[in-house]
Amino acid sequence: MKCKKMRRLLPLLAGSELPESQIPPVRAHMEGCSRCQAEFEKYTVLVGQTREWLTESKIDWEEQEWQQSLRSAVNQVPQRKTALIPWPFPKAWAYALVAGAMLLLTLLVVQPPFVKQMGFWSESVDAAEMEEQEVVSMTMVSKETGLKIVWFFNKNFNLEENE
Amino acid sequence: MWMKDEDKLVEDVLQGKYSSFELLVQPYRKGFLNMAYRITGDREEAMEVCQDALLKIFKYLKSYKKGRSFKTWSYKVLMNTSYDFLKEKKKFKRVIDSQKSTSVYESSQIENKVWRKQMREKIQGMLDILTPKEKAVFLLRDNEGLSVKEASSVLGCSQISVRTHLSRARQKIITHFEKKHREMIREGKT
Repeated sequence: MKCKKMRRLLPLLAGSELPESQIPPVRAHMEGCSRCQAEFEKYTVLVGQTREWLTESKIDWEEQEWQQSLRSAVNQVPQRKTALIPWPFPKAWAYALVAGAMLLLTLLVVQPPFVKQMGFWSESVDAAEMEEQEVVSMTMVSKETGLKIVWFFNKNFNLEENE
Repeated sequence: MWMKDEDKLVEDVLQGKYSSFELLVQPYRKGFLNMAYRITGDREEAMEVCQDALLKIFKYLKSYKKGRSFKTWSYKVLMNTSYDFLKEKKKFKRVIDSQKSTSVYESSQIENKVWRKQMREKIQGMLDILTPKEKAVFLLRDNEGLSVKEASSVLGCSQISVRTHLSRARQKIITHFEKKHREMIREGKT
């Protein structure tokens, strides 16, 4: 291993960040290179010193400030709304149920032809169809004699003579 | 704190037990503040950043994937919040306000004040010469004690990248101190 490569690895060896596999060749190089050995010692001192400085100059929250920060974090976020109806099943099922209900409602309102053909709803007599009817008949049956009289009316409700 | 405990606390918070949120973030209370403090360089700003980060952690807690480290996830939120804060303020250079930054914690003793000021200047000096990525890696490792793997997870980069930036940061710092040392000797001689 060359000294140039060592210069990149020594700071990591000093801070214990070098992977295990790379340590033996670095150590082996240092045994035969006093310059790299000296460099390593410098880095060891530096890492120890900087960590010490950083630790010693650490700051902390005042309890009141910390509590206030926590409170504002919890309070500024909108609270979770509780469900009106408890739903123990997966949320997707609820969405599917609502979508199904809406589809059914749409079909009821629009009533496309294929739905009519399915015969779910009884057909009501259409006023237009009534107008098209040419003749209307009325039958009267006597309780006593059983005589049956049938009257035929045309579309103008005029009595038509029975042929 | 074990990951399982953290997952349980996360679950509690999501269920509406907000008192668990404090237990969840309590272990990182000091770490968050110091990390933000090193990045912003000001205690008040650090507190603002932390408050914002805590809010985001609470708000996006449902996006935290169970079984992963809450520590690295929360530090990631903090780091992003810190750099967003700096971007927003267009403040890439650290500003040290010696009076404001440590007034609460500094002892009334003058000697202690002087010592702390010197310490701050030393740390400021070495952080100022680093790039944002080098600074982040250096602080996560040497200030917060995160492992290389954890740091890579926080920063969203490879472990090789973390080692490269860390090595470069230490090389820069040692060069900086050697230069300072030479200047001091020169000034002493003249």
